[in-house]
Amino acid sequence: MDTITRRKFLQVFGAGAAGAVATSLTIEDIAQAAMDRPLPLGTPILVVVTLYGGNDGLNTLVPVNDPIYQAMRPGIAYSPDQVLPLAEDLYLNGAMDGLFSFWQKNQVAIVRGVGYPNPDRSHFTSMAIWQSATLAAVKTGWLGRWIETQPRDPLLAISLGSVLPPLLAGANGFGSVLPLGGLRIPTGAVGNDCRRISAPSTSDNELQALAAQTMRDLFTVSSDITPILRGPAPAAPDLPTSIGGNAGGETNLSQQLDVVAKLIAAGAPTRVWSASLGGFDTHADGKDSQSVLLDVVSDGITRFMAQLKSTQRSQDVVVLVYSEFGRRVRANASEGTDHGTSGPVFVIGEKVKGGFYGDQPSLANLKNDDLTVTTDFRDVYATILEKVLQTPAERVLGNWRGRIPLL
Amino acid sequence: MTTLERLAISRLSHRFGFGPRPGEFNRLLSLGLPKVQELLLTKPQFDIFADNQPLPNVYDAGRRPPNTSDQLGNYLLDKRAQFQTLLFWWLDRMVISDHGLTERMTWFWHGHWATSYTKVDDALPMFNQNQTLRQHALGNFAAMSKAMVNDGALIYWLDGQLNTSRAPNENLSRELMELFVLGVNRYSENDVRETAKALTGYKVNKTSGAVSFNPRQHHNASITFLGTTGKYDANSLSDYLVTRDDCALFIAERLWYRFISSAHPVTGINQQSVFQSREIAPLIKAIGTSSAITDPKHAMVKSPVDWFVSICRAFSIKPSNYQNLPQLRTGLVALGQLPFQPPNVGGWPVDQAWLSAAAAHNRISFTTALLREANLAPITDLRDSERIGALADWLGVYQWSDRTLLAFAGARKDPARLALLAVNAPEYLVNA
Repeated sequence: MDTITRRKFLQVFGAGAAGAVATSLTIEDIAQAAMDRPLPLGTPILVVVTLYGGNDGLNTLVPVNDPIYQAMRPGIAYSPDQVLPLAEDLYLNGAMDGLFSFWQKNQVAIVRGVGYPNPDRSHFTSMAIWQSATLAAVKTGWLGRWIETQPRDPLLAISLGSVLPPLLAGANGFGSVLPLGGLRIPTGAVGNDCRRISAPSTSDNELQALAAQTMRDLFTVSSDITPILRGPAPAAPDLPTSIGGNAGGETNLSQQLDVVAKLIAAGAPTRVWSASLGGFDTHADGKDSQSVLLDVVSDGITRFMAQLKSTQRSQDVVVLVYSEFGRRVRANASEGTDHGTSGPVFVIGEKVKGGFYGDQPSLANLKNDDLTVTTDFRDVYATILEKVLQTPAERVLGNWRGRIPLL
Repeated sequence: MTTLERLAISRLSHRFGFGPRPGEFNRLLSLGLPKVQELLLTKPQFDIFADNQPLPNVYDAGRRPPNTSDQLGNYLLDKRAQFQTLLFWWLDRMVISDHGLTERMTWFWHGHWATSYTKVDDALPMFNQNQTLRQHALGNFAAMSKAMVNDGALIYWLDGQLNTSRAPNENLSRELMELFVLGVNRYSENDVRETAKALTGYKVNKTSGAVSFNPRQHHNASITFLGTTGKYDANSLSDYLVTRDDCALFIAERLWYRFISSAHPVTGINQQSVFQSREIAPLIKAIGTSSAITDPKHAMVKSPVDWFVSICRAFSIKPSNYQNLPQLRTGLVALGQLPFQPPNVGGWPVDQAWLSAAAAHNRISFTTALLREANLAPITDLRDSERIGALADWLGVYQWSDRTLLAFAGARKDPARLALLAVNAPEYLVNA
């Protein structure tokens, strides 16, 4: 059973869903759809940001005045002057000043101690659990199952990058992928040749059919559409120019969110977007490397929200940020931390009821040297399904009862 | 020659090697399947081309000069040049080898013990690891595993040099069990914590990759894990893990996943008995001679490196001789696979992950560039009317669809156009 679990997951993790045909979109596809059938104003939009590697929750939402925190994390504990005050004697990592400004506007919900029973410390297994929202062996993505409740539309849910995350893979319905940067379509003799070798053929096996189809995707859109996406991103009037938020400093996450902002502004008929950032597996030098990454997350989201301000859809968007596990409370000798259990989940948006939800795991009451889980992640998903995606949670999560009043 | 035999020979040539050079596939077809299995699945005494390849010029770059030093620029340029030398040395070796299995297995093990230059950042430790993987590629897995827990690049990559008795770092111990030897969930969390202690005290010289052992930082007390209690170090830990039955299951699963199918589980092989001695060669032979090799359901997508190397072999391109080396490197990066830079410790993905509109586009541009230096004699020397018929045997393709043959028909007067179409056709990209 174990091998099947892993094999299945690797398949999904690395390769889109098992046997799945993930449509790869071009920017032109989405631009055309945005013109033909724009998403009605006021339709809620979910943006999921996955932090791969296991984000250190204790140095994200920091109990800086807790003597146990200071004692257990020599070398990687923050001091009170390095963090930003939230409430209940909890503090935000100092790199997340952008997110802090949204907290002050009551637009950030922080769900504390989020995880699931009997935490698994394998990156691959734990991410499979988070992305499938099930502890069972057979995996479909929770948003993949949501896609299956909706009328078929390849633009309904889109992941930035070239590989479909398991999150968006159902058994029969799938999200699409949008490679960053867009594509140039071959023309002339080469273009005509490539059209011919990518035509459907009854003798193709499943993978050959997919190879043909993905090449065909290059030609499915007429080339004379004026691509909305070649233009500049929406202006971000809220951002002070002094932090350089509008210029340079591109990171992969902010590039992804830039594209999402442009497409939302253009009216893409897309209700779920998936973006991600890797590198959170901070076994060594955890404090510095994590703060660089949190800076990227906070800046990327801040810039994204500011860009939406200049559109009519800023109220419609909700951003969900999560990671597959937190990290061990005690620092290791490498000024890093090993794989742990629960961590905070962030939900951000103008309609979000800002504040804390769930209990902060106590450092005086560890389980096996690890934080306890105080909130099940499926409570968050159920709430998102009902309040953002306007779908009964039962259709995706079965008989799951927990909800969180953050929307 | 039955069609299933042709299918099997195409699979053996592309999956257990890197595809045929001109004329090779016809020779294999004339031998028949049993002799091809014997030939391709047995490491020969010597390999005239691989054995005569000079070693790459990589060396200990020494410590990084301070930021204020005027030597810093040269130092960084020199490191970049060393990595490029190493990269093309290996790609060359995949292309020029007379017998494909050793390099194919070295490539497999690189994805298995996936270590990236992006963190190691020195060419010499990466080269040393690569030689270790090659030395044991078809040898004994117990010896390989022991060599790898003592490998500087792997230890550095997984923070082993920071793992001390005072505060163990679990990165290496976890991946050793999950990804390298046993497979996920075949151990407990407590086992991860305990075995981390066995791996304490190992130090790496970052630039040379040399590993030393500091007994004062080693956990010198008994540990208990997976049903055993005692004092362990990296060597005895590796030995113990490799003897577990789960090791035989896991290694067979991983080989099957990369050589036969990522979609269907291992069948028709008794892993425990074939891998009883932990000798790798009999296991790979069992896989290559199992009935799965003729089962039509086991198609596989060529990864970008597989695809690139098989084209170089067919087009007689030696990568390091290519005029524009940065172009080759950029081409592979755009397709998402550069040797020595796996995306994470889990290695590269398979099959569907390599198929997208973006990848199709990148392959077409890449092929256009490669064709400038390709030797297309196997088709240019033929009359127009004979070219299409020669394509499948030249490239080792099982069979073309009518769709693809129709596309070829329009291009038969132009060998370069034919070649571009052939290596981008679904039947080449996906080994049937």
